[in-house]
Formats: sequence, C-alpha cells, structure tokens
Amino acid sequence: MTRRTTLLHALSDFLLALFEVLAWWAVLAVLWLVLISVVDALELVLGAAVALVGAVAARAARRAVGAR
Amino acid sequence: MNDMLIAVTLLLVAATATAAVAARDPVRQALVLAVLGVALALLFTVLQAPDVALSQLAVGSALTPLLLLLSVRKVRRRGRRKGRTE
Amino acid sequence: MNGWTVTATVALAGGGAAAVWGVATGPLRRRVVAQNLSTTLACPALLLLAQGYRRPSYVDVALVLALLGPIGTLVFARLLAEDLHEDPPIGLTLTWVAVAFSAAVVAAVCAATGPGRAMVKLLVTGALMISGSLVASRALARGMPKGGDRHE
Repeated sequence: MTRRTTLLHALSDFLLALFEVLAWWAVLAVLWLVLISVVDALELVLGAAVALVGAVAARAARRAVGAR
Repeated sequence: MNDMLIAVTLLLVAATATAAVAARDPVRQALVLAVLGVALALLFTVLQAPDVALSQLAVGSALTPLLLLLSVRKVRRRGRRKGRTE
Repeated sequence: MNGWTVTATVALAGGGAAAVWGVATGPLRRRVVAQNLSTTLACPALLLLAQGYRRPSYVDVALVLALLGPIGTLVFARLLAEDLHEDPPIGLTLTWVAVAFSAAVVAAVCAATGPGRAMVKLLVTGALMISGSLVASRALARGMPKGGDRHE
C-alpha cells in the first residue's frame, strides 16, 4: 500500500518535471525560431537541441531560486 | 546628413570619455564608464560595424562596472576591517 | 539619409547630452538614473538606425543592449544599495519619457516592417527594452527586492 503511494508520488513528480521542461522547451524553441534570419532544416534541428539544453537549465535555475 | 550622425555620436563619445577621465571617485567613474560603453557601441553601429558594437556592449555595459564595483567593495571592506583591529 | 536617421540624430543629440550631463555631475542618486536613461535611450536609437540603414540584422545590437543594459543598472542597484538607501533616487520623469519614446519607436518600426517574423523579433526587443528599463528604475528607487545586505 505505502509502496504504491510512493510509486504514485514518484510518477506524478516525474510527470510534473516533464511538463515543466516541455513548457520551457516550447517557449525557447519559439524564441529561437523568431530570432534566426533564415529558417532551414539545420537551424531547426540545432534550435530544438539548444532549446532542450536551455529548458533543463531553466528548470534547474528555477528550483535553485525557489528553494531559497 | 550621415556625417551629422557620426559627428553627434563622436561628440558623445568625446564628452563621456572626458568625464570618465575627470571623475575622481571610482564608483562614479564606473557609472560614467557604463555610459561610455553604450556611446562607443552607438559609434561603432553608425560606422557600420555592428559586430564590434556587440562585443563592446557585452564588455562595456555590464562587465566593466561589475569588476570595478566588486574591487571597490573588497578594498573598502578590507580597509574597514583593518581600521577595526588597529 | 531619411527620416529614421534624422530622428535618431535628434534623439541622440538631445537625450545623449542630457544623459552625459546627468552622469558626470550631481549627486549619486541622479547619476544612476542618468545611466539607466542612457540605455533606455540608446535602444530605440539603435532600432531607428537599423530601419534607417535598411539592415534588419542591426536589430541584434538593440536586442543585446535591451538585455544587458538593465543588467548593468541592476549591478549598480545591488552594489550601491547602501548609498542609495540613504539617499533614494527621485524624479524618474525622464525615464518615463524615454520609455514612451521607445514604445512609439517600436510601433513605428513595426508599422514600417509589416507583419512577419521580423515584426515579432521587433516586438520581443521592444518588450525586453521597456520591461527591463522599468524593472531597473524600480530597483533603483525602492531597493533590491531581497534587501541589499544579505551578505553583510
């Protein structure tokens, strides 16, 4: 019983984290898309990758500030 | 008229640089240096060198004042501590 | 040469002179406000220049200044917090005038650019510029939100 609740907790935490990173990723990817000069495949792939790195960093930064 | 724009920005840079040299207090000099960085970036843009203006902005508007103010703060604190122990 | 660059020249001559005079003379509280005013004024001037020279890539300079200028002012607000707390800056009217000028410039340049990605970029730059200037002048007037003496 307790094991199941901890499992549920872990699952909901994971889903929340995933949702937050996805939200940051969407915002950063749209920002990249707006700021580049020429839209082509290479830019899109690079933008998606860099936005993912930025999203993880943004979540870490928000948790670091929020824990204060 | 383009010469007019270059002349105005050059005058701004000259006036700010003179003020930076004339300032005695390092804190106030840091403030003048921040304005000088922005004026130099404007001059570089007017002279059609936006890449130089970008690096000038990165160094001049945030990094130089930060370094100066941190050094001033450290020196002041050390002076205060020395004054207390003596 | 066109109306954009003429406007930029006039704005730089008037506002630049005021900012240099304010930052070079007077008490500390006026100097920090003048430093904030210089970035708030240089940003729309750069946008005007980008439009006047017909080089959309020059907007990048204005974008970087809109991001870094308020950071520089926040550095001053944070590290001079004790001095500014004793003698807080007042009379931010000129900053409000500069903010209104930047909003007008962003609107005019957007109207000249027409809808598209370039216009969204201009709007992002304008939003960064105006909100950054307001946050910086607020931090100067009321102190940093978490107090300036956390490390003392």
